[in-house]
Amino acid sequence: MFDRFRSSGLEVVCVGAFETAESCEAWRQRFGLGCPVVPDEDGTLFRRLTNGWVPCNILVAPDGTVLFAENEFDETGYVAAIAALYERAAPSPLDRQADQPAVERHVPSRAAARIVVLGGGTGGLVTARELRRRLGREHHVVLIDRSPVHLFAPSLLWLMVGRREPRQIQRPLTRLAAHGIEFHQGDVSEIDLDARVVRTESAAFAFDYLVVSLGAELAPRDVPGFDEMALNLYDLEGSSRIRAALQSFRGGRIGVLIPSMPFKCPAAPYEAAFLIEAHCREAGVREKTEIHLFTPEHQPMPVAGSTVGDAVVEVLRGRGIQYHPLFTFESLRPERREVVSSDGSATQIDLLLGVPPHRAPDVLRASGLLGVSGWIHVDARTLRTAHEGVFAVGDVTSIRLPNGKTLPKAGVFAHAEAKIVVQQIVDEIQGRPSQKSFDGRGSCWIELGDGKAGFAGGQFYAEPEPHVRMFRPGRMWHWGKVAFEQWWLRRWC
Amino acid sequence: MKVLDESSTGVQTGAHLALGDLSLPVSGTAGVLLVFWKER
Repeated sequence: MFDRFRSSGLEVVCVGAFETAESCEAWRQRFGLGCPVVPDEDGTLFRRLTNGWVPCNILVAPDGTVLFAENEFDETGYVAAIAALYERAAPSPLDRQADQPAVERHVPSRAAARIVVLGGGTGGLVTARELRRRLGREHHVVLIDRSPVHLFAPSLLWLMVGRREPRQIQRPLTRLAAHGIEFHQGDVSEIDLDARVVRTESAAFAFDYLVVSLGAELAPRDVPGFDEMALNLYDLEGSSRIRAALQSFRGGRIGVLIPSMPFKCPAAPYEAAFLIEAHCREAGVREKTEIHLFTPEHQPMPVAGSTVGDAVVEVLRGRGIQYHPLFTFESLRPERREVVSSDGSATQIDLLLGVPPHRAPDVLRASGLLGVSGWIHVDARTLRTAHEGVFAVGDVTSIRLPNGKTLPKAGVFAHAEAKIVVQQIVDEIQGRPSQKSFDGRGSCWIELGDGKAGFAGGQFYAEPEPHVRMFRPGRMWHWGKVAFEQWWLRRWC
Repeated sequence: MKVLDESSTGVQTGAHLALGDLSLPVSGTAGVLLVFWKER
């Protein structure tokens, strides 16, 4: 970045949080940096300017305006933002604040709108079904997904421990036709916002409204050795392989590894650990088994707050699950089946469940929709992007909370956001200003095994911190989660 | 990514930052990119 924009006058300063002058100089020399590297030994600057996470990159305009403050690095987005600083381009999506109130829109009603929904997961499915329910048949609703089926992903954990079969948690998206929704199976190859067309390998879909709900792509190959050593906790094939491995597991060391942030469904790795611990007890191998959970987080589900985090840690401890927070993952050594930390220590793991790195789908990179975080930035209330008639919901978005952290990636939010988007589109088509906005409320179950679950929920848009309450675990919550699964598969699929 | 201080909120997009108050070796006349890092 420094070398690229130096001639434009951009100044880059690397600030070592809690680092000394000596370590800063060593770091500067190690990377051959031409920009200043300064120590912030007591963390004063770090605490004042960042959201507490490293790395954190902050771009400041000459007038002192903060143009972005992000943890994740997306080179394309950063380059665009910095280039805009010097080219004085048209207002960028990066200038949009997540918490700006919805702008009243006066749009002439449309005789027949064409609404394209990308993605048949939680957000896409709710969007398409609700649009179809609320709009007359003169309006076209199209849903595109590369998969022919909708997978109810929360139930992968039950599949992992043998309590579900794949066919029980999938529904064909071809059923959408019976609801008057045009379904196309295919990979989205291009999103042309200027021409307002989405292309797949075989067709082109013009749109008046576009709702992007493509989710997060899983990128296990971003971790060398993942395919050889780890089983993917987050997809159907991986969960099935975990089930097979657990059935033949006779004792040893099981690990749940979160190598990087962010990841969707913040509770899932912890639920996996709890369910596996219960499974080992049932199988009579618990005393011969160690269970480890490695995460870069400082607590389980950090955005939910310390009440929830502490409660989950208490259960981890009570179950004898070895919890390694603030774990800085370095690498996997498949030949020795080791998980290696940045401090050089290695833990040998016999059965490793991995949370693969998550990223926005590649098709979005060329679309102009991604923000500097590498995800789609949307208005926190209306879910609108900076492009007219283009919305995004669910895991593909990044929404900054008042406390500087980002809204977790979870189906409950995709579901609620989809309903708001539908209201926005329906109101606009019917020629009235939309009053409805997303309020940041969400909840989730935390499966504990032994037929029990916990439940937490609250208001994530609360200031200064999300206000989330944790309910006492019990069988009722587990059965509530089962009931929700059944309702979901009946209601939306 | 990792967290060093969960109580921090930091600056938000759109906020104003007085670079002169930060004691950093920058003039700020043409834009500044601050990169916060921590050795592993």
